Amino acid sequence: MKPPFLSQFHPVFRRLLIAVILLVAASPSLLRATVDDALSFAYEAALPYYKQGYSIRKDAWGGDLGVHDKKAVSSQLFKGNDYWFLMASDVKGASLSVHIYDDKGNLVDAESWQRGRFAGARVFPKATGTYFAIVQILKSPEDRTPWALVYGYK
Amino acid sequence: MLHRESPHGEGIFPDCSPKKGLAAFPFLVAIAVTVLPLRADAPPKKIALSDFPAAAVQEVVVPVPSEIFAVLDKLGNPNWKAQLRDGKVRTPEDRARTALLLGNVIAEGFVAVEAEDAERVKELGRQVLTLAEAINVRKSVIARSKSITDKADQRDWRGVRAEFDGALQDVRGAMDELNDQDLSQLVSLGGWLRGTEVLTSIIDKGYSKDGAELLHQPELVNYFDRCIGSMTARLRRNPMVAQIREVLRKIGPIVNEGGDQITAEKVKTIHDLTQGVDQRIVNGGNGA
Repeated sequence: MKPPFLSQFHPVFRRLLIAVILLVAASPSLLRATVDDALSFAYEAALPYYKQGYSIRKDAWGGDLGVHDKKAVSSQLFKGNDYWFLMASDVKGASLSVHIYDDKGNLVDAESWQRGRFAGARVFPKATGTYFAIVQILKSPEDRTPWALVYGYK
Repeated sequence: MLHRESPHGEGIFPDCSPKKGLAAFPFLVAIAVTVLPLRADAPPKKIALSDFPAAAVQEVVVPVPSEIFAVLDKLGNPNWKAQLRDGKVRTPEDRARTALLLGNVIAEGFVAVEAEDAERVKELGRQVLTLAEAINVRKSVIARSKSITDKADQRDWRGVRAEFDGALQDVRGAMDELNDQDLSQLVSLGGWLRGTEVLTSIIDKGYSKDGAELLHQPELVNYFDRCIGSMTARLRRNPMVAQIREVLRKIGPIVNEGGDQITAEKVKTIHDLTQGVDQRIVNGGNGA
């Protein structure tokens, strides 16, 4: 049985309308699924650090970005801790980067690495306060590339 | 829990204000990269902070108490057992207070882990389950509660910390799925308040500038204030939520100062403020 409001439309238009409704309804969950995949990869990148004694937070950041787009992720860091930020995407062929800046815009990476769809940056904060992880998609076969960022501390 | 942006960079503050969008936060610091685009091998040494579109900034993740406690352990040898609260909490009827209390109890779990008190850890794991049930998110933490007990028995303290962190995120994720983002924020806020009460208590007992600097958390305090500001009018009028906002606005100017400006007196002030509100979260009424 068709919903009554659909009966007023031509069958072809009706099918098109249903397809559009289904696509719109599905798109947030599709995005969520793929960002969740990116998150799984980010946790995979964090695993070696967990084995080195870092506590990896369950809280994380994520979204999707176009090629060369950047995003700043704000984070409260504490002097005395040693942090690793790990970023990843589920898109094969993507390349991305993450670097840490203090609230005055100075690069504070103690070290960083970038390997395809994985990247990491380490920081020993010189002061307690707000820091920014700048994430960027360097290249990707997709228009929008899902990404996720996790961090660990010890 | 994943702090997401919605498609194409819109609505980047999902936790605080999915209703109001970016316009509600024009004051948020944003980042503009002023030199060449970032490259993996050569990130710019300096970037400019300016009024760039807020869509370029994603919201702060609230640290768990153990991130701060880890530093305190390096600075000295705090008496964690002395920080533990006694007794069992009662489940409030007010959902807002229940959410605050749930966060508060999870934060207490981190204190119990520092104190390496396995029995207390297990009791708190059970309290988390009871409180989660009261706000319809019990299912999300059943496995966590069991893992907390198992890992406490094994004295796997890092594992217990991860489970409390996981419980916090699972509860918040479940609330978000129920469209209870406001309550989800109150869980975080309840945890931060208890963590700050304990932090200030320890610093107060042996003041040092390095310890006091841990209170320099201006963005977090602003974040919580913004979160309350974006809650429903009904929740903003909740006496406990209103009192917490007042407390945040008193703490804000103190933690906004440079870390080396936070004196022993200011630490005491923050302690008294957070202790007062935490007592009210636990006991209800005026916290007496």
